[in-house]
Amino acid sequence: MTTCTGCSLLCEDIELVLKTGAISEAKNLCRKGQGHFQALFTERTKPMIDGKEVTLDQAIAKAAEILKNARTPLLYGWSNSTLEAQTVGINLSKKIGATIDDTSSFCEGLLMERILNGKIPTCTLDDVRNFADTSVFWGSDPSNSHPRHLSRFSYYPRGEKRQKSYEEERTCMVVDVRKSATAHLCSNYYFRVPPEGDAEFLESILTVLDGKIPKTGDKKRLIELGTILKKTEFGVIFPGQGMIYSLQDKMDLFEELVARLNEITTFKVIPMVGHYNMRGFNQLMLGQTGFINSVSFQDGKATHGPEQSVAVAAKSSDAALVIGSDPLSSLPFGTARALAHIPLIAIDPRRSLTTDAAQVVIPSAISGLEAGGTALRMDGTRISFDPITKSERLSDEQILTRIMEAI
Amino acid sequence: MSVELKIACFEDIFQYEAGEKSRFSDEYRQLSAVILLDKQDMASLGVKDGDKVLVENEISKIVVAAKTSDDEPHAGLAFMINSVWSNQLLRDDLCNASVPGFKGITAKVGPSQGEVTGLSEIVQRMRA
Repeated sequence: MTTCTGCSLLCEDIELVLKTGAISEAKNLCRKGQGHFQALFTERTKPMIDGKEVTLDQAIAKAAEILKNARTPLLYGWSNSTLEAQTVGINLSKKIGATIDDTSSFCEGLLMERILNGKIPTCTLDDVRNFADTSVFWGSDPSNSHPRHLSRFSYYPRGEKRQKSYEEERTCMVVDVRKSATAHLCSNYYFRVPPEGDAEFLESILTVLDGKIPKTGDKKRLIELGTILKKTEFGVIFPGQGMIYSLQDKMDLFEELVARLNEITTFKVIPMVGHYNMRGFNQLMLGQTGFINSVSFQDGKATHGPEQSVAVAAKSSDAALVIGSDPLSSLPFGTARALAHIPLIAIDPRRSLTTDAAQVVIPSAISGLEAGGTALRMDGTRISFDPITKSERLSDEQILTRIMEAI
Repeated sequence: MSVELKIACFEDIFQYEAGEKSRFSDEYRQLSAVILLDKQDMASLGVKDGDKVLVENEISKIVVAAKTSDDEPHAGLAFMINSVWSNQLLRDDLCNASVPGFKGITAKVGPSQGEVTGLSEIVQRMRA
């Protein structure tokens, strides 16, 4: 039995049979997890400097040299690393006066900050399975992003107070710009919003909850939505990147909606975090610095702001260490281009655009398969896992510790 | 002939799986370098499924394959799966709350005789 680190559900019931070069049997593994674990056998990285294969010791020594000589280093990634590795990473940042940021600065961070600071009420996924009668997927599509979300927690399972079938006891709603796979599942309760139209939709719901007729949108359907929300016993909203990218600096409106719903009934929020330990990084950073991401330790103190986010810091840094992430693929062109123009150290189990562009590549073990550790599920539940196969590759934690020692 | 469209990005499990196996495979490129267009927009552009289109804005330009969206009518709005191809068109100057606008790309789309933009070309642009 192993834990899948393919997404932030951290499914702990995965059974695998590994044969040379392939997964021969798998139980409970979703398609996303299958892809994640299949990577064990494809395009693994090797220690490299300037495109030439070197020893691991040489790669680590070169990485330490680059970071030691950098005036404004950036350490980025972290959401696909264990808590243990993240802890070493934060210490490394402090030691060398680096800027540290993770993937949350361009996805769920805006919402996660409010969750971790207690401004928006949350609950565990086990609470969802046991008590929730209404799940709202807002700008999220678990059928594609977290394939077992619906079956393990939010729609199909029977729980402590949800003993009847899902058709009778659970309502699933989707708010999105497109009719996603999840929206097809609950098409009666699919609410289409135009791009960047979430704030207006939110205001309409607030109007309906106040017993008034909304000025915009499909009034009949909005009133129907308001009625369902009011009659809910235990509701949970699962916002995805779609909602966050749309709301931007209007997140106060969402906070207001959740507060208003909780005057009527019980509503919680769990952000649909993508990477398996983004929440872990955010909680560690909050505990150590008071900020969840985008922090500079230059001048010996923690400074936080948009200037410390990867999108800006990439342009002012003179070296970067990227761990468990492929920003050249996943970030906007300008940010990716900035990273491609500075000495780059990539710690990753697999080949990517970022490892191809890196001056130094350090291969790492795949968490959950080749390396153990601890991570926080999207709801904050702590999950520990052990490796299920032996590997000569070092874990992220071991690599970072060795870089620290070399510096 | 080109039309200005808004593009919203989304996640697709089949493309994600292909990317986890290899970011450099034909399968990943074929699943990623695609734009889903409304029937009306496909007709306006005179393109059919599989035809190449040039998607261009002030940030960059890419050639991808056009595909008819099976969603409800959404003329003026197109969809792309999150990938290095869609990210070529994405502004990274800060929005009000520091999140790039992955859901609000604006670009001109028109028929193209070119091939789908390859990863090697994208990497060259990043390094230029």
